[in-house]
Amino acid sequence: MTTSTTVAPLDGAAVRRLTRRATAARARTTLGERISEAWGGLVSAGIGVAVAGGSLASLRESIALAGAPVTGTTLPASLTSAALALLALAGVVVVLARLGPVSATPAAAAWWLPLPADRRGLLRGELVRLTAAGGSVALLLALPLVFGAAAAPTAASVLGGLGWAGALAIAAVGGTALLQTRRRGRGVAGLAGAVAGAAAVVPAVAGTLAAAGGWAVGVPAAGTLPGWVLAVAAVAAGALLVQADRGLGRLDAARLLAGGATARYAGGSLLSMDTRQLGRALAGRDRPPRRSRRFRRVRRPWQAVVATDLAVLTRGRWQLGQLAVAAAVPVVVARTGGLGALPPAVWAGCLLGWGLAATAAGRAAREAHGAPELDRLFALSAAAVVRSRAVVPLGGTVLVCALSGLLVGVGTGAVGTWALFGLAAAPAWAAASLRGALRPDPDWSGPVVSTPMGVLPAGVGATLVQGVDVGVVGTLPLLAALVSGGPTPLLVAVQAAWALLLAAAVLVQLGRRRSQEG
Amino acid sequence: MRNGMGSLDLLVVEELSVGHGSAPVCAPVDLRLGPGRALAVVGPNGSGKSTLLRTLVGLLEPLAGTVAFDGAPVDERAAAFRRDVAAVLDDDAFFISLTGREHLLLTARGHGVAAAEEAVDDEVEAFGLGDRADALPSALSSGQRRRLALAAAFVRPARLLVLDEPERRLDAGMRARLAARLGSLRDAGTAVLLASHDADVVATVADEVLVVDDDACRLLDPVEAAGRIAEL
Repeated sequence: MTTSTTVAPLDGAAVRRLTRRATAARARTTLGERISEAWGGLVSAGIGVAVAGGSLASLRESIALAGAPVTGTTLPASLTSAALALLALAGVVVVLARLGPVSATPAAAAWWLPLPADRRGLLRGELVRLTAAGGSVALLLALPLVFGAAAAPTAASVLGGLGWAGALAIAAVGGTALLQTRRRGRGVAGLAGAVAGAAAVVPAVAGTLAAAGGWAVGVPAAGTLPGWVLAVAAVAAGALLVQADRGLGRLDAARLLAGGATARYAGGSLLSMDTRQLGRALAGRDRPPRRSRRFRRVRRPWQAVVATDLAVLTRGRWQLGQLAVAAAVPVVVARTGGLGALPPAVWAGCLLGWGLAATAAGRAAREAHGAPELDRLFALSAAAVVRSRAVVPLGGTVLVCALSGLLVGVGTGAVGTWALFGLAAAPAWAAASLRGALRPDPDWSGPVVSTPMGVLPAGVGATLVQGVDVGVVGTLPLLAALVSGGPTPLLVAVQAAWALLLAAAVLVQLGRRRSQEG
Repeated sequence: MRNGMGSLDLLVVEELSVGHGSAPVCAPVDLRLGPGRALAVVGPNGSGKSTLLRTLVGLLEPLAGTVAFDGAPVDERAAAFRRDVAAVLDDDAFFISLTGREHLLLTARGHGVAAAEEAVDDEVEAFGLGDRADALPSALSSGQRRRLALAAAFVRPARLLVLDEPERRLDAGMRARLAARLGSLRDAGTAVLLASHDADVVATVADEVLVVDDDACRLLDPVEAAGRIAEL
């Protein structure tokens, strides 16, 4: 072993520099290629912003021309917008907290962190990258909002909107990083998840109570915030970031490595467009059970599958909250002034909420897809396993669809019909849940399609929509009901028959596919 | 605290309980390790050897008890601790664009080794990496990557060397050379702590053996421990 240390060891910045130079020297891309890639990315982002902005402007104009609302609209649009912003911010905080936010790749953990170099110098680049990425994403998301949501955007409103987006993004990164340096980051994801849930559920409950009582939720008129408030917010966000930077030296290797492993898992899933894996990466560990279940009521193999699925669903950290949010989303959209008068918007709200319910309820099936050997534990055919696996998603979607249908119907005089409509749509979403969970891995071998936003692999897209497709098609009768002024018993029957037919077809198709795979 | 040889103990472990979450994986551990001494940790798979080593180098929080290095509680965030303790655990992670030699140079320069390139050449030679040292990690075999990780622990100065099953993925010749080098290091004053399933490595290197188990963790001398290792 070497015993002499007569020169000063490298500091953190020097270690980073040395690694970067060695990596750059071996890079296979030229400067021109990198500029070209960056330009391509900018063009794609620009097109995305323009499309989103245009859609928002179109929505604003449609609202101005809309007729009578589908149901009693008791929530002001400003309140729903604020709830949406809070939900988005909480979602960002959840992701940041799950990723660390400051983390070390396994290589950095193995080769950088054991060095006596100052850890702050080693990790500062990571914090800078995070801040730049968070700020850029926030600005990209804010651009269509500031241009599309206002009838006549002014320089002040655009700059103000972008400024708030940037300040909130920096505050989210700085705040979560600061808590991480003080070893208080573990509960942040759960807290932010609870805030996100409340941001959806509270307006839904308030809107429904208001509809039942025949009043409307009022909020104080929100004038434009003076510029100095934004300046104070920006300074506060910057202060959080500076404090987080000062505490980087306190971060321990184990947590940095855990965050890095999560980030690598999530990054790989994102790159391969595998949303199932991405969900697993960001979900974290299950809630540890207080004691093992005895499964005393299980008598038959199919009951074992159902009992296992139920245990997996209830032990997930996020799924029960997702089901609550899923029930709330259609209600909030239908109760919001403006949006509630647009049948396609209410329908889209139902698709969003019920799709979320299908995703949450399909957790056990997704896990089973990753471990097919578990299905072979029971004396059941592959088709019977698929049918058994549909029970829990059906239970979850029945609960959510019927509840949201019932809440949308409050105050319309047809509560029962609305609830039955939701109930009738549930089989389609249960089938969507299963089809999405058991879909094949993305197929990268298919042809690519040239689009203004770059080349897209068609095979991957065709795989990713599996599940959502059945849900959307299965809910078309609801769109007809919304457009025609409300649900009728005939339309409820059509919805139920259509959803059951689709569900049966999906179960047969999945059963055949799993038999062939098995 | 002075040990039997009259020098201060580097590592002092008292009533240490280790595990993941709140469940201990083995019985509480007491041990002391001074400069120029070597301790081998043995036990069956899943007995908690790796968890114990990770806790001793500060990568896991103890469930109970204390771990002190050089008179202070172990804190891997302290630069002084990282300067004094070299550890090769179960890591098999490398920068994909850096060659093996660059990984070693990064380690040597990061620890302020004066003649870094010569030190790296010596370790490349000692670990039989030869011309493979200039290959990217993806082009190395599993055993060569293991040698590279071990070389990184030797290319830098350390007062305590912690190794988790260093013989893993090494051929018989390299195992014997590694054991001999560890013995030499110990004789030169470095404290060595290793977990191992290899009776020959343990016999060559260790002055004492800690047998890790569910009901009790016992310190044995290598002769007493030989039979126990053979049973595992």
